[in-house]
Amino acid sequence: MGGLAASVVLIGVLAGVRLISAQDRLVEPQSGSVFSPAHATFRDALAHFLGWRREPVQPIPFPHRTHFEEAFLECTYCHDGAARGPVARIPSVVVCMDCHFDVATDREPIQLLTSFYESGQEPPWERVYGWLPEAHVRFNHAPHVRREIECTVCHGDVTQMIVAEPAVDHTMSFCVGCHEQSQASIDCVTCHY
Amino acid sequence: MPRWGMAVDLDRCTGCEACVTACHAENNIPTVGPEEAARGRAMHWIRVERYWEGEFPDVRLTFRPVFCQQCDNAPCEPVCPTYASYHTDEGLNAQVYNRCIGTRYCANACSYNVRFFNFHNPEWDRPLDLQLNPDVSVREVGVMEKCTFCIQRINAARIDARAETEEGRIEDGTLQPACAQSCTANALVFGDLDDADSRVSRLSRSPRGSKLLEELGAEPSVTYLQKGDWDESGGG
Repeated sequence: MGGLAASVVLIGVLAGVRLISAQDRLVEPQSGSVFSPAHATFRDALAHFLGWRREPVQPIPFPHRTHFEEAFLECTYCHDGAARGPVARIPSVVVCMDCHFDVATDREPIQLLTSFYESGQEPPWERVYGWLPEAHVRFNHAPHVRREIECTVCHGDVTQMIVAEPAVDHTMSFCVGCHEQSQASIDCVTCHY
Repeated sequence: MPRWGMAVDLDRCTGCEACVTACHAENNIPTVGPEEAARGRAMHWIRVERYWEGEFPDVRLTFRPVFCQQCDNAPCEPVCPTYASYHTDEGLNAQVYNRCIGTRYCANACSYNVRFFNFHNPEWDRPLDLQLNPDVSVREVGVMEKCTFCIQRINAARIDARAETEEGRIEDGTLQPACAQSCTANALVFGDLDDADSRVSRLSRSPRGSKLLEELGAEPSVTYLQKGDWDESGGG
């Protein structure tokens, strides 16, 4: 029994080391190789089972706190899709440059940002939240914003974070608990379709 | 709470298959290729069946679009060991992909042959993957799928309706699945069967109406309208 447990842990550690390397995408659609209906590889299945996620790596250490406390920006100033539709959106570099043409232009990260802008490229921001495609979850921000559910309920207090990090675990029980409390629909096809 | 249903006017259907194309585009339905299709693995949530009546040259061609009949007494539901196939409060036979373990019992139980199994992981070569609908899952290998009456559109319409009024009533005619929207002949009519004034509800009560394989007792939510020999005027 002990041997079995040890080997499971060993496999886990090996898979984990692979998992957190920066080149790996969280989800790689791998045609051909199939481990199970929901997972392309054994590593995916194990990571899924153990709830491992790779930490997002951002091209620029975007300080949410500074923008909230010093620039007095609301979340929806940049994430302007949240009030209107399904996706909150990571803002385009054009939105950044609204202010950063003039603001803090002497700082190195802003110069990097400007170089992205000038070369016509978007900084390769990585999403902090999101479900695996296998979860078959469809989420729409707009009705939640309309019900005046604070962003912090699902995203933690991002206003106090330097680089946004996944503070809340978006499990099904997390969603369903809130839906039950607020008497929102808990029909499967409300989210899974 | 609405009870979704559809009416199909077979006298209007021209068999153009625009509904089939629209459904594929809307619902991220993969194409399987000629070899797999020859093995009976083609996936079309809606298909147009052709019927020839009479002998050449005196033939008459009729069409019948067939898709999930969203039965009230659905044979696919009780056979599912994981409750992946279940009945929603709005009268839909829903399919929860996460729960599906691919036993295919539901497809065997279905009298209408409208459930499709993913024998392979679907692939779209670039740039075709860019046209995938982000509001709909891409189903992976080992999962059963079927017509959902465009549940993504129903959910979106409900969200829009609730933004406008507290009650959140979806007005008749504001919501259409992709097939009905694309039907040039207006043969497909979708709506709430519990609303006595809705178009689909009026059509479903027509004396021209009949259900597909009614004698099986699955109680479909889809009504087919067709001129009978007994009523040359076309009835309702």
